[in-house]
Amino acid sequence: MQRDISSYAIAPSVKVKLLNAGFLSAADLCDLRPLQLSKEACISQEEAVEVLQAVRCESGQERAAAGRLTALELLGREQELGTIVTFCSALDMALGGGMPVGKTTEVCGAPGVGKTQLCIQLSVDAQIPVCFGGLGGKSLYIDTEGSFLVQRAVDLAQAAVDHCGLLAEDSEQQEALKGFTVETILSNLFLVRCHDYVELLAETYLLPDFLAQHPGVRLVVIDSIAFSFRHDFEDLSQRTRLLNGLAQRLIQMATNHNVAVILTNQMTTKVWSGQSKLVPALGESWGHAATQRLILHWEGTHRLASLYKSPSQREATVPYQITGQGFRDAPPSDQPKASDDPSVRQSGSLSKRPRTEEDQSTRT
Amino acid sequence: MVVLRDGMCPGLSEELVVALRAADITTVEDLVSSDTEDLAQKCSVSYKALLAIRRVLLAQHTAFPVSGADLYEDLLSSTAILSTGNPSLDKLLDSGLYTGELTELAGGPGSGKTQVCFGVAVNISYQLKQSVIYVDSTGGLSASRLLQMLQAKSCNIEEQMEALQRIQVFPVFDIFSLLGCLHHFRCVGLQQASAGGGSVKAVIVDSVSAVISPILGGKQNEGMSMMTQVAGLLKTIAKDFNVAVLVTNTVTRDGNGQLKAGLGQTWSHVPRIRILLQRLERPGSTCSSVRTATLAKSSRQPCHLKEEFDLQCWGRSEEQLYGMSGKRKHTEPS
Repeated sequence: MQRDISSYAIAPSVKVKLLNAGFLSAADLCDLRPLQLSKEACISQEEAVEVLQAVRCESGQERAAAGRLTALELLGREQELGTIVTFCSALDMALGGGMPVGKTTEVCGAPGVGKTQLCIQLSVDAQIPVCFGGLGGKSLYIDTEGSFLVQRAVDLAQAAVDHCGLLAEDSEQQEALKGFTVETILSNLFLVRCHDYVELLAETYLLPDFLAQHPGVRLVVIDSIAFSFRHDFEDLSQRTRLLNGLAQRLIQMATNHNVAVILTNQMTTKVWSGQSKLVPALGESWGHAATQRLILHWEGTHRLASLYKSPSQREATVPYQITGQGFRDAPPSDQPKASDDPSVRQSGSLSKRPRTEEDQSTRT
Repeated sequence: MVVLRDGMCPGLSEELVVALRAADITTVEDLVSSDTEDLAQKCSVSYKALLAIRRVLLAQHTAFPVSGADLYEDLLSSTAILSTGNPSLDKLLDSGLYTGELTELAGGPGSGKTQVCFGVAVNISYQLKQSVIYVDSTGGLSASRLLQMLQAKSCNIEEQMEALQRIQVFPVFDIFSLLGCLHHFRCVGLQQASAGGGSVKAVIVDSVSAVISPILGGKQNEGMSMMTQVAGLLKTIAKDFNVAVLVTNTVTRDGNGQLKAGLGQTWSHVPRIRILLQRLERPGSTCSSVRTATLAKSSRQPCHLKEEFDLQCWGRSEEQLYGMSGKRKHTEPS
């Protein structure tokens, strides 16, 4: 039972030459030297070396078994990885503690509803020190729309530092607070500006190297995926293919490097049997790309966040607001009738660490 | 097309291989389909020796026919039916997932495919006490949700941990890793691959479209071949190791706006049973966990049977489940 040559990651033109020379399976190649192979298959020596490397590396079959783990080990790993809080306690509860690390989350919403605010808030929150219940990691912000404002990030960072300052009790937290200032927050926030989809795709190919060089990064935000892919695309099927490939690379990166990946998406109108509905852009197949999907929408003058798709949390809708200090809970006095309120309370997920409680007195 | 090499069979020496190549015979097929007498003259080799080589090569490379009666006996003794844990789904599947077969779940985003996979995995590892192999290509596997489902079934922490240990997770994110993983299963066998307690009874691949759709279409010409290789490997694993294979797929809309499973016509012949999952569009309840399952392709039941089921049923204990079953609606085919 030997593996076909066509199932290895070799360039298609080289595969055709190998097949024409009569090499069908890995066994045919196993005891050949590069010079012999290049002569018999009429390929260059470098290509022959690459082919033999690909075949021999896989034939050990260690790679296939390397990543495997039992569900029990996975449970331990998930609990270790933690989550990134959003500072809106209702949303954190609905999400099971916050944005999960090691998974991709998509945030969709109409213009002005708060997607970029949430992204900037998460970039700051990922850096909250471990003794305050955060991850103490760095953030990478990939901006395609040009909507990242440094001044806003400074405001949010200041609010987070003040919040932690009020919470600091013991000496360990006081010590950590010295390293948690607006300057350090901004210096641990890496910003990349991409102008079109080619730059964005190139950036995702470079990301694994970047993450290997900066192992402290815990959050990658792409704001937004939709902007670069909605303009200048004549071939929609090519767009779907590119997006699917992108989604797979992102989830691979999230799993291998233990980062949370947040993607922002826009909304579009779908006309369906005489009715029009607001749905996330980029097509129906993109809906499968992210592990979790959060839809932000308006209800009159109130902002609501709905968890539309999640493997571990139940669907819920919670209200939130954007204040001068960032993404916060909606004030309890004028909360709209959020559906499934009881289900938000009994989200039933494991609560992992002491949560940073919302301090009402910090709000002016 | 198997290339002739020396040492393949007794009598096939290096000089003979070179002589045959000079006569334009490079593969086993060429040797077997050519005229032996003529060849013996051209390569100055004895006719008897060449005939013996030909016989050995034929014996090595032919397929063996099996009688229908033997096949039937084999099937009766080895097929098992695995319940999914949800009575409505079991009804649709003719009492559960059959081993030796490929079942497909297709649905849009958020329709519950991953939840059904979780429910099946939990049911097999806890109720039936058998191992499950879960190949995850979307990152959607959440061990905390598996634990939640187990906690609803039993309060004994040890049993929960044991059940979790029987589920082996293989993360693969592109087509080559998936092919490598499936080859690994086929070569070393599922028992060794899982290394857990109990025998492996199910292989769940969630989802197969996530790794295949980026390579299909456009100027790429390898996509279809890789897809059929995946199909072939999954079917061989199902048959040889007597496991039930469950895969998930996306949906697209056809010309009339009807939902159909993704990955095209070629893939549609691969699964034996195909179920389409949909959210219920009920006015007034926006966040409900009820889904409809429609039987789109089956070799045992009439198609277009529909059942409604609640995704939360795996998270409930047995008494709640059977106490509620009387109240659950079943839509009958008209």
